[in-house]
Amino acid sequence: MKKILESTIKSAAHGLETGDFSSTELTKAYLDQVRGLDLSIHAYLDVHQDAAFLQAQESDERRAKGEALGPLDGVPLAIKDNILIKGQRTTAGSKILENYESPYDASVIKKLRAAGSVFLGKTNLDEYAMGSSTEHSAFGPTKNPRDLERVPGGSSGGSAAAVAADMCVAALGSDTGGSVRQPAAYCGIVGFKPSYGRVSRYGLIAMASSLDQIGPLTKTVEDAAILAKTLMGQDPMDQTTAAGKPFNPTFPKSLKGVRVGLPKQAWQVDGLDEGVRSDVDEAVEKLRGLGAEIKEVDLPYADEALAAYYIIMPCEVSANLSRFDGMRYGLRELAPTLLETYSKSRGRGLGEETRRRIMLGTYALSKGYYDAYYRQARKVQTLVRRAYLRAFEEVDVLVTPTAPNTAFKLGEKLSDPLAMYLVDVFTVGANVAGLPAISVPCGTDKGMPVGVHFVGGYMQDATAIDVAYAYEQNRL
Amino acid sequence: MNKRLFLARMPLSKDDVKRLAELSRIELEPEEAARMEQTLDPILEYVSRLSAIETAGVPEVELEDEGLGFRQDVERGDNQAERSIILRNFPDREGDALKVPAVFENPKQ
Repeated sequence: MKKILESTIKSAAHGLETGDFSSTELTKAYLDQVRGLDLSIHAYLDVHQDAAFLQAQESDERRAKGEALGPLDGVPLAIKDNILIKGQRTTAGSKILENYESPYDASVIKKLRAAGSVFLGKTNLDEYAMGSSTEHSAFGPTKNPRDLERVPGGSSGGSAAAVAADMCVAALGSDTGGSVRQPAAYCGIVGFKPSYGRVSRYGLIAMASSLDQIGPLTKTVEDAAILAKTLMGQDPMDQTTAAGKPFNPTFPKSLKGVRVGLPKQAWQVDGLDEGVRSDVDEAVEKLRGLGAEIKEVDLPYADEALAAYYIIMPCEVSANLSRFDGMRYGLRELAPTLLETYSKSRGRGLGEETRRRIMLGTYALSKGYYDAYYRQARKVQTLVRRAYLRAFEEVDVLVTPTAPNTAFKLGEKLSDPLAMYLVDVFTVGANVAGLPAISVPCGTDKGMPVGVHFVGGYMQDATAIDVAYAYEQNRL
Repeated sequence: MNKRLFLARMPLSKDDVKRLAELSRIELEPEEAARMEQTLDPILEYVSRLSAIETAGVPEVELEDEGLGFRQDVERGDNQAERSIILRNFPDREGDALKVPAVFENPKQ
C-alpha cells in the first residue's frame, strides 16, 4: 500500500495505463490514508468521498473503453479551499463562508474535470489566503507532517501538507506573495507559481487580483509542469489572462549555457538562517556542476518589493473583501440598522489577520494617504519590474532561498504580524513583477526541509521549470 | 515632498483605529481595537520606507501584456443549477427574492 501512496502524477498515470491499479483503488488508498492521518495533520477541511469515487469509477470506465483522457485521468488531487467546486462547500478558511455552497466550477476545475482528475476534497488555508502559516484559518491550523508542532507554511498549508503526507498525488494552491512556494519549502515538496496571466482566476476567491495566481504543489518538478500545463490558457471569464509564450519545458539533464543569477541585495537580507544559506549555497554549486554559469547580479529594490507588496496587497484586499457584507451570501448578523448589520457580520465573521489587512488597505487608500502609500507603492512596483527586466538581460534564472528560515513552531509568530510578513522576503518579488517562480527541496536544516527558489523572466515559465528539473534530477 | 509627509507620520491613535474600523465596516471589541492599534503601527512604519525612494516620472502601470481586454456584454443564458445554488446561499429570502435590511431607516411616508 505504501508504494501506491508515493505515486507521482507520472507514476500514477503509468500504473493506471498498465493496469497495475485502477483509479478506484488509487482513490480508496488515498481516502484511507486521509482517514488514518488527517486527524493529526488537519490538511483537509472537506473530504469529497462520494464524488471522488464517482469520478474514479467514470475514469476506470473510460479507460476500459480505451478512451483515457491523458496523464491526469483518474489521478486523485486535493484542492485549496479558495477554489470553487460546484455544489461543494468553499469556505476560504473563513467563518463568513462556513456554509457557502459554490454555485459554479472555477475555470481550473473545469479544465481538470475535462482531464479526468479525481477531487479528493478541499484543503485548509489561512483565511482568504492571508498568511504564511495556515494558523489564520477559522477552522484550526494544519500541522507540518515532518513535525506536528510546526507549521506547514501558508497560505496553502493544507495542500502542501496533503502532498507531503501522501494524502493525495498532487494539489492546487494559490500564490499571492509566496503562498504556494513557501509551504512547499517548509514541507519538503515542489511548489510552482506560473507567470501572472497564465492561469485563469475565475472561481478563485480573490485576494489581490493583480497578484493572485493558482499553482500546483507536487512531489516532483515534472508533475508540477504536467499539472500547470493543464491549468494554463486564456479564459474569457478572466480578462487578465494572457497568451504569452507557449509552455514547453524540455526537461534537460545539463545546464550548459544557462546563466544563473544570484541577486546581490536579496542574499544580503537580514535574518537568513545559516543552515538555510548553506543548503542553498550547496544547491548553487550543484547548478555550477551541471554546467551553469553562476554570477552575481544587481537586483535593487529587493527589500522594498516586500514593503510595496504590503501596501498594494492590502489595498486590493480591502476592495475585494467588501463583498463579504452579510447580504447575498455568508454569515449575516442582523442588527437594528443596515450599517450595524454590515459591521457586525464582518466583525464576527472575519478573523483578526483578515481585519488587519482590510484596515491597512483602507488606510493606504484613504484621502490624504493615497498618494504617499498606494500611488508610491505602485511606482515602486514599476521600479521592481524594471529591475528584474534588467537582471534578465544578463541571466536566464535567478536563485535565492525560498524562505529565510525553515518551518517555525505553531504560535511562534502569531503575536508579531510583521515578523510573519518578513518570511515572504524572497518569494514576494515574483508576484510583484508577475514572474514565474518555483521552489524545490534542497536539503534540511535541523531536520526541517529547506527550499531553493528559481525565478524566470516573464512568460519564461519553461526556463524556470527546466533549471529546477535539472537540479532536482541531479541532486542526490 | 513624499519625505515630508512620512517624516510627519504620527503613530495611530485610538480615534484613527476607530475611524478605520468604521470605514472598513468592521465592528471591533475594545480588546480587538487595542490589539489592532498595537499591530498596525509597526507595519505602517515598515512600509513607510518606500517614501525614501525617488519615483518622479515613474508610471504606476507599465504593462507587459494587454491580456484579453474587455469582452462583449451579452446575455449568457439561464443556468438553473447555478441559480438554485445562489438562492440557497441567500441568508434570508422570500420566495426567490433576497431579503435584506431596509436601506432607509426612517423612510419618508
